[in-house]
Amino acid sequence: MLTRIGQRDENAMEEIFRRYSGPVYSVALRVLRDSSQAEDVLQEVFLQLWRKPAAFVQNRGSLGAWLVVIARNRAIDVLRRRKPSDSVDDVVLASTVNVADEAERNTMMEKVRRVIADLPMEQRKSLELAYFEGLSHTEIASRTGDPLGTVKTRIRQALISLRKAFQP
Amino acid sequence: MNDPRPIPSPEDLALYAMQALSADEMAAVAAALRDNAQAQQEFARIQSDLALLALSTEQQPAPAGAFDRLKARMHENAAATTVAAKPVPTAMPPMTDTAYEIAPAASRRSKWTVFTPWAIAAALAIACSILGYRVSSMNDALDGESRLVSNLAAKASHAQQVLEVLNAPDAQRVTLTATQTAPAPTAHTVYLAERGALVMEASHLKPVPADKAYELWVIPASGGAPIPAGTFRPNSEGYASLVLPSLPSGVQAKAFGITIENAAGSSTPTLPIVLSGAAGD
Repeated sequence: MLTRIGQRDENAMEEIFRRYSGPVYSVALRVLRDSSQAEDVLQEVFLQLWRKPAAFVQNRGSLGAWLVVIARNRAIDVLRRRKPSDSVDDVVLASTVNVADEAERNTMMEKVRRVIADLPMEQRKSLELAYFEGLSHTEIASRTGDPLGTVKTRIRQALISLRKAFQP
Repeated sequence: MNDPRPIPSPEDLALYAMQALSADEMAAVAAALRDNAQAQQEFARIQSDLALLALSTEQQPAPAGAFDRLKARMHENAAATTVAAKPVPTAMPPMTDTAYEIAPAASRRSKWTVFTPWAIAAALAIACSILGYRVSSMNDALDGESRLVSNLAAKASHAQQVLEVLNAPDAQRVTLTATQTAPAPTAHTVYLAERGALVMEASHLKPVPADKAYELWVIPASGGAPIPAGTFRPNSEGYASLVLPSLPSGVQAKAFGITIENAAGSSTPTLPIVLSGAAGD
């Protein structure tokens, strides 16, 4: 599919958009809480794919997962009103998170939500403030009144719980 | 000798992936990552964890028309690329300082002479891009129309076949009705309140497991608790009866009910009520 996009095949682009636009738009909307800005992020992410399909390295994770991570990072950039941060855009994923199939994706989303809901409240709060609200660890520490090290550990522990839930 | 860069901690890697570090810290982690394969692996794992987290959001479909708007931008992008890619500088004849020195008096006229063809070329390039875009759009529209026509033709053909079958004079027309259904379980009670005497017979009852039995209940008109009137099991033909079970006398009945209970019987009925009937029905 990416090869076809490299050959300027708009049908291939439409197919990829059909598969992944929902998750990409949803994460942008979650961060920005503004449908207009979220669509801007959606457009930017897919335009980036159209311009540089080679930026995604196929054997290093799934395209859908890559797109949602890029979308989240772009949305945070918009939230902080700053230029896109290229360094973090070099997104390489360790595992193949298959989000192409809608049924499989829905099952996985449910599982992720359950894991997040089961996290200790402090861990969940720190994780969401960092990931969806775009707060730095110092801002989180300042807001919650917790030591910086505690905030870091909580975020790390939350991600470990998430990872363990999906280990075979 | 330079000290090796410190290996970033997993905590810092997670914050780096979320852009939740200060600018200095971000730069330090980025630099440390470049030299450390182990940290790169962990960073990739963290990115995968974060992809899962991104998927935990409430799913919303992309706004209507979003792909059309993207497509328009893709075309704009292609047009811009086409114009930008025109080899204007390399196609220009080499102009040396000497050339200007030879003809200084004619410089104004020669500038027009040089730039006019290039302006025309640029205009043509833009016109070509616009035409290309329009051709592409028209092709897309044509493809869409062709698909629509094919779909309509297929639907019309299908409708024609349906009409032919319905109107055929030699078609066999048969009305089908439901086959015989199993008779519903029923029970009849005859109850004499002043004597506390009851006779019940039931038919078409379904079998119950060995450790279960049907139990009949008298529901008092006074609103008191249901009174057990005895257990019974149907025979192989679904028939059962209760004749003069032990019941208190003088209890007016509002209704009767049958439930399935443990074989020994129960002091209170267990839902659901399998059969019921109001007194006087």
